[in-house]
Amino acid sequence: MSQTILQLSEINKRFDGVLALQGASFSVFAGEVHGLMGENGAGKSTLAKIIAGTIAADGGRFFVDGSPVTINDPHDAQRLGISIIYQELDLFPHLTVAENLAIGNRQFKERKFVRLADLDRFAEPFLEQVGLTCGPRCAVRSLSMGGRQLVAIARSLSMRARIILMDEPTSALFDDSVERLFNLVGALKQQGVAIVYVSHKMDEVFRVCDRVTVMRDGETIGTRAIQEVSSAELIRMMIGKEWQARDCKPAISNDETVLSFSDLTTAKLRDVSFDLRKGEVLGIAGLLGSGRSEIGAALMGLDRWKKGQIILRGEPASIKSVKKAMEAGIRWLPEDRKLDGLMMQMSILENGTISDLRPLSWFGFVSRQRERRAAMALFGSLSLKFASTSLPVGTLSGGNQQKVLLSRCLLGNPDIVFLDDPTRGIDVGAKEDIYRIIEQLASQGKGILLVSSELPELLRCCDRILVMREGTVAAELDAGHTTQEEILTLATHAPAQVGGPA
Amino acid sequence: MKSAAAGSAASFWRRISAQNRDVLKSVGALAAICILAVLLSPTAANGSYIFLQLGNLTDILRQVSLVGIISLAMNFVILTGGIDLSVGSILALSTTVVALVLTKWQPGLSYSIEITLAVLAALAVSTASGALSGAVIAVFDVQPFVVTLAGMIGIRGLAKWLSSNANVDVGFGQDVASTFAAIFRGKAVTIGCYVALAIVFAVLLSRTIFGRYVRAVGDNERAALYAGLPIRQVKLWVYSLSGLLAGFAGVLYAAENHQGNPNAGVGYELDAIAAVVIGGTQLSGGKGTILGTIVGTLMIGVLTNMLRLNNVDSNVEMMVKGGIILLAVAVQKQGKHVR
Amino acid sequence: MKMRLMRIMGLVLLTTIAISCNRPSPNKRQFFVAFSQANNAEPYRAAQNELMTKLFAQAGDVKLVIADAQQDNSKQVAQVETFIRQRPDLLIVAPNERAALTAVMGEAMEQKIPVICLERDILQPNYTTLVHSDNIVIGRMAGEFIRDYLINKYKEPKGAVVEMQGLLGVEAAINRHKGAADVLAKYPDIKIVADPVADWIQARAKDRMTEVLRGHPSVDVVYAHNDPMAVGAYLAAKELGREQEMIFVGVDGLGGPAGGIKKVEDNILAATFVYPLCVDKTVEVALQMLRDPNFHPEKEYTVAPQLVTPLNAAELYKQTRLTQ
Repeated sequence: MSQTILQLSEINKRFDGVLALQGASFSVFAGEVHGLMGENGAGKSTLAKIIAGTIAADGGRFFVDGSPVTINDPHDAQRLGISIIYQELDLFPHLTVAENLAIGNRQFKERKFVRLADLDRFAEPFLEQVGLTCGPRCAVRSLSMGGRQLVAIARSLSMRARIILMDEPTSALFDDSVERLFNLVGALKQQGVAIVYVSHKMDEVFRVCDRVTVMRDGETIGTRAIQEVSSAELIRMMIGKEWQARDCKPAISNDETVLSFSDLTTAKLRDVSFDLRKGEVLGIAGLLGSGRSEIGAALMGLDRWKKGQIILRGEPASIKSVKKAMEAGIRWLPEDRKLDGLMMQMSILENGTISDLRPLSWFGFVSRQRERRAAMALFGSLSLKFASTSLPVGTLSGGNQQKVLLSRCLLGNPDIVFLDDPTRGIDVGAKEDIYRIIEQLASQGKGILLVSSELPELLRCCDRILVMREGTVAAELDAGHTTQEEILTLATHAPAQVGGPA
Repeated sequence: MKSAAAGSAASFWRRISAQNRDVLKSVGALAAICILAVLLSPTAANGSYIFLQLGNLTDILRQVSLVGIISLAMNFVILTGGIDLSVGSILALSTTVVALVLTKWQPGLSYSIEITLAVLAALAVSTASGALSGAVIAVFDVQPFVVTLAGMIGIRGLAKWLSSNANVDVGFGQDVASTFAAIFRGKAVTIGCYVALAIVFAVLLSRTIFGRYVRAVGDNERAALYAGLPIRQVKLWVYSLSGLLAGFAGVLYAAENHQGNPNAGVGYELDAIAAVVIGGTQLSGGKGTILGTIVGTLMIGVLTNMLRLNNVDSNVEMMVKGGIILLAVAVQKQGKHVR
Repeated sequence: MKMRLMRIMGLVLLTTIAISCNRPSPNKRQFFVAFSQANNAEPYRAAQNELMTKLFAQAGDVKLVIADAQQDNSKQVAQVETFIRQRPDLLIVAPNERAALTAVMGEAMEQKIPVICLERDILQPNYTTLVHSDNIVIGRMAGEFIRDYLINKYKEPKGAVVEMQGLLGVEAAINRHKGAADVLAKYPDIKIVADPVADWIQARAKDRMTEVLRGHPSVDVVYAHNDPMAVGAYLAAKELGREQEMIFVGVDGLGGPAGGIKKVEDNILAATFVYPLCVDKTVEVALQMLRDPNFHPEKEYTVAPQLVTPLNAAELYKQTRLTQ
């Protein structure tokens, strides 16, 4: 019989006057995988952080194993056996795996002088449990995202966690690591560990979860057993109304080529060649590090071209800096919106207009009126939701932040747009908005390059898909006539092995 | 996300940008210190508070003007995430150059032309010094702390070399040097320059493209690069402005003190940084206003004056100053949750 | 937690300020004398402060406040300005540098506050009276002493002299140099081989002397504008093992175990000149000015210096100990 291991009742939380959680309540059984879904801003990350003690709730009660407890800080949570694995993985990249497990861990007996043998002995059983093969002494920074996530899970296990919260665990993983994760989750279930699985991804939730709780606008709308509910119903609970998925396939693509890469070689790319036509959406798939983002870097003049050419509207182009690229009508959306895109302390308005201030100014003085008008028009067309444009951009949800960056690109009215993983870590509603925008841009005749880790997204939105592997183009596929398996195979194996034994 | 309810004062407080909120907090602190100064102020023979006498208040303004002018540009430098340790030495160089030109150069031109040229020479040399630091920082990507530290040492050496380590006296007579001093030393001139420059720089930061770029570069340099901003130019300009304003302060210093002094300005860079930091600008860059810097400058000025009117030992004065800086920064950190 | 710490800090600061306040009370009939000192760190000036405090305390009807400008012109100007605001009965200023302080002392005069300029001159006579000792005389005495020593050593007026200078903008440095230079200029074979600047400070003099010694294989006399610098030069020479090669002459001649007279007695310095603190005379004139409204002081009072050599050092030292 499944017993309730964790119960939350009437949790409230206010940030800066905005109500983030209102009377949130739900409960988790031991040994179950409990999904937590909702749009961004619904409050799921906040709730997870409150359970983990990172943030303190303003009001409400907690019960662990039926007894009331208080959770005011991470120490309380750790003592109660609660552990959280963040989307961004709060590991120390310069330290070893074992050190990451031991730091701040009540289960590890700290002594004045740290003995490596002690660390190894402490870490090994948990590494085995999660299936990490590299050993306790390898540096975390040498691991892939998937490996790092296993380290994070091992750390939670080493804290004798009985409740593990996972916040968007697969957002940075490519498909094979995802499988590994699911297997691990299943194994943990068997051991009686309860897992709260925060995610946007419908198919994953249906795959691993036993029950799911949906949140909307800071409230818990309801909990359902996964066999008894449909994705349409979950979506209805998340956004509060009926909603239809739409195809984002662009209308027609012209035959006119706007951009060509011709044997382009940089430090990280080798002989990359492809064409982009007017009004076309060209997808770029591949593992992390295969050269997808590097195409953008080369296009924007950030990486030096060693060999080859870029041909723009028929003429060979010389792009030496980001400014030159922008002047040539190329804009881009960098991969990591927090590190590479936003100026977090500046306002929403300022972030949107920073690349195109000259046309909005008079002899160097920014015309607030003109700026406001231009930005609001663009924000409106992107369905950007905000309280006031003078608030710092950090107050927005991930999806809205991405829209601000998109505005920045589009304000300059570019001909070619390079989007690097634009829907990473954002919710369903905002994702659909972005797909709609991509469709619109294509129909306006812009050439779009779309890098993505989500294969279904690529198949949905693109005309053709470029598969990158190890810095070069492995294949060029027609999106209408290919499958996820084919793309994945091309991205991971050399051509001679395609079609051979898997 | 729901937007906050409109209409009430509480929601107004929430809606104004975090930046303005910090400035209001600083102004409040300044007001508090002024009130304290009045309470502790000695009284004159006619019963009025000495602190509030117009003469005393303008004294304070004059006393903070030089460091205040330097702080304006230091604010810009710190906003880009950098720092300029060489401003004290540039001030010394500027005083030396202007005094040397006025006393040693006898071209027989009219006084106004000579004075103008001398001042321009000092400003040119100062701006060039700043530009040199800026170029090394922008082009070779060397850390500003290191580059301006080298500047601090080297530029003072240059000043000492130019004057053979002596002071260049500007007299009280009728010659061109004395006339220069008479014109520029007045309280009104000094305060006027500070106010004028403060307005210019406030407008520069809040209303111009350049001001936006400065904040963007300090906020997230990588993102600024990826957004196509001219990072190198911004940095070069910012350090050049720092040199220019230090030069300006140096010219005023030479007039006030009637001397070119290669040993002047020691520690001014730290006073400027203190004013900027108390005013709410963070050393990591991206966040700060000119009004905040002015408030920080005034806070130090009022505090020092309050202590001096009460004849507090100058060493205790320094300890109190240090304490205020810590307190000011701690108050700013208060109320900011970890994102 | 943080809030509480901040409140405690704020309270500590307020208490510090409160207990450090040092205002003259308007009720008691005490004269308020403000003294702006250039730099408490110099032993000469510290001795001035000590003596002045003692003498005014003995007088009984004076409240003395001393401000330390720590060798910073702007600071001293600001401190004098603030003193002016407090309208003292008498303002005494020991200017850090001539040019910088001239104007503000003029302001004090304009505000009808009597001003005594102590020991260092300024560019214009913006004071009621100047009390100083004649540094030209000292320089001359030093020059003559050096000349006589060299003639004694080499049977003719020749030799290598290192002149260690004080802060260049200051009258004392200018005149101690001039007085000696005027004498030594008559002897072309007595050469000033180096004249580094050490700003009156012993540590700096040691560094400068080390550099000079490395550059000059033979030095006969070190003439420093004050005793601490002479001692610093001595220490530099001692480190390099060359202290017997030359003699050290200083100026100040302060009493006490750290002063120049003791150094002459201990044979570290060959000679020094008692540069009077000028405080006795100052306090005497000050009290007269305060108590007698009809008293008009002279524009200038000069106090005479005294040569100290091993012959009279022991005696003089005993004398200073008695008056301490």
